[in-house]
Amino acid sequence: MGFVVLVNPPAAESTGIVCYETLETSVNRHIRRWPLILTTLVWLSCVGCIPQHPEGNVVDDLGRTVTINQTPQRIISLAPSNTEILFALGLGDRVVGVTEYCNYPEAATAKPKVGGFSTVDIEKVVSLEPDLVLATHIHGKTVIPALEEVGLTVFVLAPDSIDGVLNSITLAGTITGQHQQALQLVNNLRTRVEEVGNKTRNLAPDQRPTVLYLTWHNPLMTAGSGTLADDLIDKAGGQNIAYDISGDKAIDLETVVHRDPQVIIASVGMGTGEDLPWQYAKTEPRLENTQALVNRRVYMIDGDIVHRPGPRITDALDLMAQFIHPEIF
Amino acid sequence: MALEVLKDRTVPKTTTVYPLRWRSRTYAIVGLVLILGMAVMATSAIGSTDIPLSTLCQVLLAKLPFVELKPTWASSVETIVLDIRLPRLLLAGLVGAALAVAGATYQGLFRNPLADPYLIGVAQGAALGAVIGFLLPASWQAASVPLLAFAGALLAVAVVYSIARVGKTLPMTTLILAGVALGAFLAAITSYLMIASGDKLHGIISWLLGTFSLTSWWQVTMVAPYVFVGTVVIWLHARPLNVMQLDEEQAQQLGINVERMKLILLGAATLITAAAVCFCGIIGFVGIIIPHAVRLIWGPDHRFLLPLSTFAGAIFLILADTAARTVLAPTEIPVGVITAFLGAPFFLYLLRQKKRAIF
Repeated sequence: MGFVVLVNPPAAESTGIVCYETLETSVNRHIRRWPLILTTLVWLSCVGCIPQHPEGNVVDDLGRTVTINQTPQRIISLAPSNTEILFALGLGDRVVGVTEYCNYPEAATAKPKVGGFSTVDIEKVVSLEPDLVLATHIHGKTVIPALEEVGLTVFVLAPDSIDGVLNSITLAGTITGQHQQALQLVNNLRTRVEEVGNKTRNLAPDQRPTVLYLTWHNPLMTAGSGTLADDLIDKAGGQNIAYDISGDKAIDLETVVHRDPQVIIASVGMGTGEDLPWQYAKTEPRLENTQALVNRRVYMIDGDIVHRPGPRITDALDLMAQFIHPEIF
Repeated sequence: MALEVLKDRTVPKTTTVYPLRWRSRTYAIVGLVLILGMAVMATSAIGSTDIPLSTLCQVLLAKLPFVELKPTWASSVETIVLDIRLPRLLLAGLVGAALAVAGATYQGLFRNPLADPYLIGVAQGAALGAVIGFLLPASWQAASVPLLAFAGALLAVAVVYSIARVGKTLPMTTLILAGVALGAFLAAITSYLMIASGDKLHGIISWLLGTFSLTSWWQVTMVAPYVFVGTVVIWLHARPLNVMQLDEEQAQQLGINVERMKLILLGAATLITAAAVCFCGIIGFVGIIIPHAVRLIWGPDHRFLLPLSTFAGAIFLILADTAARTVLAPTEIPVGVITAFLGAPFFLYLLRQKKRAIF
């Protein structure tokens, strides 16, 4: 029976989870047929147009080996970036739960909420009966053990660079059986990254404007090395003035004045209409004599597209490139 | 044991009995004022940006009237010294002074070594006010956070005061208990609002830990009058505060209007604490440790304890804030972290030293 199901996967998918359980037990029973089944699997994945089965053991972004036996049908996303990736892979229908912060795409807001970002309601997650939970690095110590305790499959996507985002999208495609969509999406995104990279790669250091990326104004918060924003600034042809700070941290106003950024990019919450950091940067009298203010180069960018390691990262890259190098973009 | 020592020394019998003591304490005050001045000078030369001492002196001299100096320095240097470092360390000094003298006052009033300026709800009231301020529409935030923090602090203490008041008297134990209970209640609301605050959480936490980042001159000029007036009022009541160390009843019999004294001192200490925390947040530890350290070194006479605490608090917080902005430069640490990290071991050391010598 297992063989029949495998040859005709779409039928299996339409019948849902129960069918997969039967599939698994029957596979166990007919253990001698493994070589045949595997060959079929490999052949199917070469065909490409039929949704493939995920390959079993996959290593996630935290280095955990996660075993996924069946194509996940009920997926919960614990991070806005994961939600965006899932929808971009055409998996919107299979998403059964998201966080309160998942505001993109529009359709995601209608999904059941399983809590905030770090405050996950485990009970709610369990009640939605997911067969895959997509977490991120902040869930590592607390939420993931709790979810595994109740027998859920948790996979972590936690990229901290543009390349990492592309890799995560590929991984997400692999474990959800959307290889083809992932491949297409990643190729698109990579082309756009390359387009920007081609123009900025060979810029001499003095052609790279110094950039202050401001995430909050009181205290002044910036994104140092090892963050997505830092990678974006670099790829967009700028130099982050917070090069010696690692991660998202406060930066001394004195340092900002001294390093005299040529461009200030303030992240704002477009959805909430809060542009406080941008307002602050434009009006702070002590920044008045920095090159950025003298030349009126204080820009705002939607913080969501910069900080979320999702498919919109290239939108952020394009915008950053325009801000930093208006003459070539 | 501590109380016996307190009783022993609080009321100096006459000025002639301890002439040496008097003189050394007066020297101590003068010394601390000098150290304060030097601390201001020295710390304005320290920061994430290297500014040579000569340049620093020139920048400062050029600001004096009748001094004509041709600027040989970049305009950013002037901004850094005059508009970033100076207001910041002056506010740190004011807040340190306010918290320390308020702490000494509370400890004296409550005759309790565990008392600190946040004992009867100031911190929790200010925190709730500030968090509400953070949650208000963005355009109001700059003004609403300090304003609501100030109002929240005063309101919380006013409520505690009116709850604890029995007829015309104010039992101090009831006041503490009411303060602790209301504080817990307000903290619960604050915690809930923080959980619900989403992406503003970082700003809130940083405020709650206390930070002088982004201090500008207008904040200094707002806080200074409260601190000056409040501190002077407290200093002037040092003698009655000494007498009140005996016992409230005895103090009353000795001609002190105890209830009025409590109201004035509580009011002044609360007002300067509220003014201190409203811009920079809840900076812990200064208010409890500085008065104790001063008491351990120079004795419990409030006529000296209060001014010495004021200056020591200012020096301590200026140094702590300098550490906060330079240790991990160019990033910053909340100053509250530094005050506890540096202050606690120093205080334990003092405690140990004195324990060997006196107790």
